[in-house]
Amino acid sequence: MRESRLMLLQYVTALLAVALVSIHLMMQGVILPYDTAISFNNMLSIYRNAVTAVFLEALLLVVLVHGFNGLRIILYELRQTKPWTTWVDVVTVAAVIGTVAYGTRTVILAAFGVVSA
Amino acid sequence: MTDVRLLVQRFDPFKDEEPRLVEYKVPKREGMTVLDAILYARDYVDHSIALRFSCRQASCGSCGMKINGRPRLACYTQVDELAGEKVVAQPMENFAIIRDLVTDLGSFFEKHAEVVPQLVRSDLQEQEHPTSEYVMKPEELTRVLQFTYCIKCGLCTSSCPTVATDSEFPGPQALAQAYRYTADVRDEGGDGRIAILDTPHGIWRCHFAGSCSYVCPKGVDPALGIQLLKRHVMSGHAPRKAGEGSPTAKAGIPAHGPGSGSSSGG
Repeated sequence: MRESRLMLLQYVTALLAVALVSIHLMMQGVILPYDTAISFNNMLSIYRNAVTAVFLEALLLVVLVHGFNGLRIILYELRQTKPWTTWVDVVTVAAVIGTVAYGTRTVILAAFGVVSA
Repeated sequence: MTDVRLLVQRFDPFKDEEPRLVEYKVPKREGMTVLDAILYARDYVDHSIALRFSCRQASCGSCGMKINGRPRLACYTQVDELAGEKVVAQPMENFAIIRDLVTDLGSFFEKHAEVVPQLVRSDLQEQEHPTSEYVMKPEELTRVLQFTYCIKCGLCTSSCPTVATDSEFPGPQALAQAYRYTADVRDEGGDGRIAILDTPHGIWRCHFAGSCSYVCPKGVDPALGIQLLKRHVMSGHAPRKAGEGSPTAKAGIPAHGPGSGSSSGG
């Protein structure tokens, strides 16, 4: 993929992250009091609501893609060899896939009642 | 007459282990430039000082060096304008030192050449046997004019933090020149340049520190050029087809100039 496409992805995910994290923070302290918001039962209800579950999944995806793409850019500057560039690409893509999969697992388990109060 | 305390960094990679600053006392005169001071020291005190210079009027870009911690042209910096009691002359950062104040600009010019810094056109027949001029509108010229003032002194590259960490990064000079030719309406080589620069160590590694623009002695703004080139790449500019690059054809200006009666473009 051309670097400009990856940078476009970086800019888009940055904007989305600002929006989604803002909503997330509001959910944690503005819409509900902080203590209530982080209670176990409230968290479960968030996961079991389709809209908020999708929101959390989107937040997870956007932040991780943006973060690991940014890490890729930083690591590129450490060395300038082809093996290093390839290694950075492989590791960051694997890290995105792994962390998104693990986070998605949490969302799915909570949403479908495997985790219960 | 007062003396100037001139400290010159001396280093011969074949003999010295570490660079060292050597002090020279130079009689100051009105309007004296740092280059004048170094040349005085070389002519009358120590003939072995190595430096590169030529035009003495900020046109050739040969005498770039770090003066009192900032990349400047020695011929374009007067001793009086420097704050402090001493003048410290050191070689430019981000370049290997050949000796004393002389740096190796080989990779700098290689990167400049890599971005194809000339107009690229497919109408070879027109270039061999021109039937008209390639006309530019004033606003089209304004878009690229400041970037044509680059004298390739290397000061922007020596001040760039990305060049310091990424040896494959083309640097502000090459990238600004890539924009200068890509944005030129007479050029058709933009796609080729973008293919070279839209890479992991290419244009996107510029973090917009802006030090290149800060140190440019000719008032060029390479950081702006790089951002404009990024926008050009990101907006997915459609490649110009052969002949489309000529505004003569686009604007319908008669090929042999006004009043010639012909309408073929270049």
